[in-house]
Amino acid sequence: MTVLSPTITRRDIINNLGKGAAVVATVSALPVSAKAAVGGHQTQYGMVIDTRRCSGCHACSVACKSEFDVPLGNTRSWVEYTEKGTYPNVSRGFLPRLCNQCSEPQCVSVCPTGATYKRAEDGIVVVDPDICIGCKYCMQACPYDARFINPITGAADKCDFCVHRVAKGVVPSCVNTCPGRARIFGDLNDPKSEISRVLDSNRVTVLRPAMGTKPNVFYIDADHSDESDIRYAGQYIDVTTHRKELARR
Amino acid sequence: MLEHTHWGLPIIGYFFLAGLGAGAYTVSGSVLLRGGGGGFGQQHFKLARYGALLAPLPVIIGTGMLILELGSFEVGNYFKFINLFLTINLSPMSVGAWLLNAFILASLLYAFTFWSADSKPGDQWDTLRRRLAWAGVPLGIAVAVYTGVLLGAMPARPFWNSPVLAMLFLVSSLSTGVAGILLLRALFDNDNTEQPGQGEGGYILAASDAMLIGFELLVIFLFIMFAHLTVGNVKEAVSVILSGGDLATLFWFGVVVVGLLLPVLIELKYVIPKLLYHREYYAPRGVEILVPVVVLIGGFLLRYVVVYAGQMTGPVGI
Repeated sequence: MTVLSPTITRRDIINNLGKGAAVVATVSALPVSAKAAVGGHQTQYGMVIDTRRCSGCHACSVACKSEFDVPLGNTRSWVEYTEKGTYPNVSRGFLPRLCNQCSEPQCVSVCPTGATYKRAEDGIVVVDPDICIGCKYCMQACPYDARFINPITGAADKCDFCVHRVAKGVVPSCVNTCPGRARIFGDLNDPKSEISRVLDSNRVTVLRPAMGTKPNVFYIDADHSDESDIRYAGQYIDVTTHRKELARR
Repeated sequence: MLEHTHWGLPIIGYFFLAGLGAGAYTVSGSVLLRGGGGGFGQQHFKLARYGALLAPLPVIIGTGMLILELGSFEVGNYFKFINLFLTINLSPMSVGAWLLNAFILASLLYAFTFWSADSKPGDQWDTLRRRLAWAGVPLGIAVAVYTGVLLGAMPARPFWNSPVLAMLFLVSSLSTGVAGILLLRALFDNDNTEQPGQGEGGYILAASDAMLIGFELLVIFLFIMFAHLTVGNVKEAVSVILSGGDLATLFWFGVVVVGLLLPVLIELKYVIPKLLYHREYYAPRGVEILVPVVVLIGGFLLRYVVVYAGQMTGPVGI
């Protein structure tokens, strides 16, 4: 620390201020460089679903069912069919659905017990069934209807990107099983990963971006038509959800 | 359309009962504290006592009903709800759960200070009673408001996602709280119309209730108008209670006509002569029972329509 002398000049003060600012800058830069030193970035797992390669075979839904023994009537992963148009101008689209593992997950912000949280290590949103009391608040908050109450545990349940497989370096069950290789899984924050390269070189969309949840599941060439969409009023459009909830909400 | 709703009658019943109890405590506390300044025809203590004795019961019953609809309770983990009280976070439900604890504790103590049939101002419990009245006004308002915040916090439920909803629930809670006190007074107070000046308490309650219902109609108007004037999700969602919507009849006939317009018109019929011409207030016993009953029915139907309408609608498109 500089001892103030009566002969201090304006130039001295400016010089000292500069030194102080340099120290502050070094300190604030430290955590960043420390992070870089351990070779890391924040992992955020994500998925790209190329609907052009999806044939609606439900292999992902079945693989998910068997992976988790999902109780009858509930779905962690499902495929929706969208049929629209009048002959001969018709189309049919397949929309595989799962939890979007959002970067701004509203299910997490409303959870009163902290049972649902976003894992710091890989960005996967998980539910701890031992803590969850089954209040269903997260089910109201999720814009994607990805959650259900597991009738065996009584806790909220949903897709967790097969966190037990991913932790061992294996891709999720639905990705593994997809015969069309429509699903690409990986770390969105690793610029060298396959998913990052696919995201960089394709036009992708997410579901209901206006909800502000910042989903980490992306779609290539997805048909976003929906029965509830006023733009399709008077036009033939039929969505089959293949789940207990017969309509999207 | 109701088959896949997550929250049903237990939640609706809770919202109604918690609002009733919260309103009763707030009204009772403010009547007790303001009563010293006069204007209640020496009846302020009696009215405060009805509110105090009423307040804890519906909130306790409603909170019990909440537990019934927990997924953990349904599979037999009857005490897992305790997990709520192992943490506190900014989730409206977490804040609300703690608030309910504080409310139930304070309202039970407050009711206890009024328990004795010959309790009166200045008796041994007076200091505690006044302190709990001071606590009860904000606590009641907080419980009433948080239920609206809880529903309003989610963009995924556009019908609920309105800042006016919490206000609507607050005004409705105060109105049903006043109605609860009016009803108890009409049922248990045998000498309220005999002596001159004894109708004063009824007048104050009916006049406040009419004012609250007026506010409630205004808030409903704002709720619908702002939702209808926007485009997209919120407009689509609010159409469920507008002409042609699935809940339109229940809302307009049940909530607005029976629950709000009918009681406010009856109350005004009896309040206006005193308000404008300083005549003696008098309302027949039948009217003093009918008015609070329809206000309570309206309060319940309002929660019913809001809770179901929010779950029947969602974001438009995918």
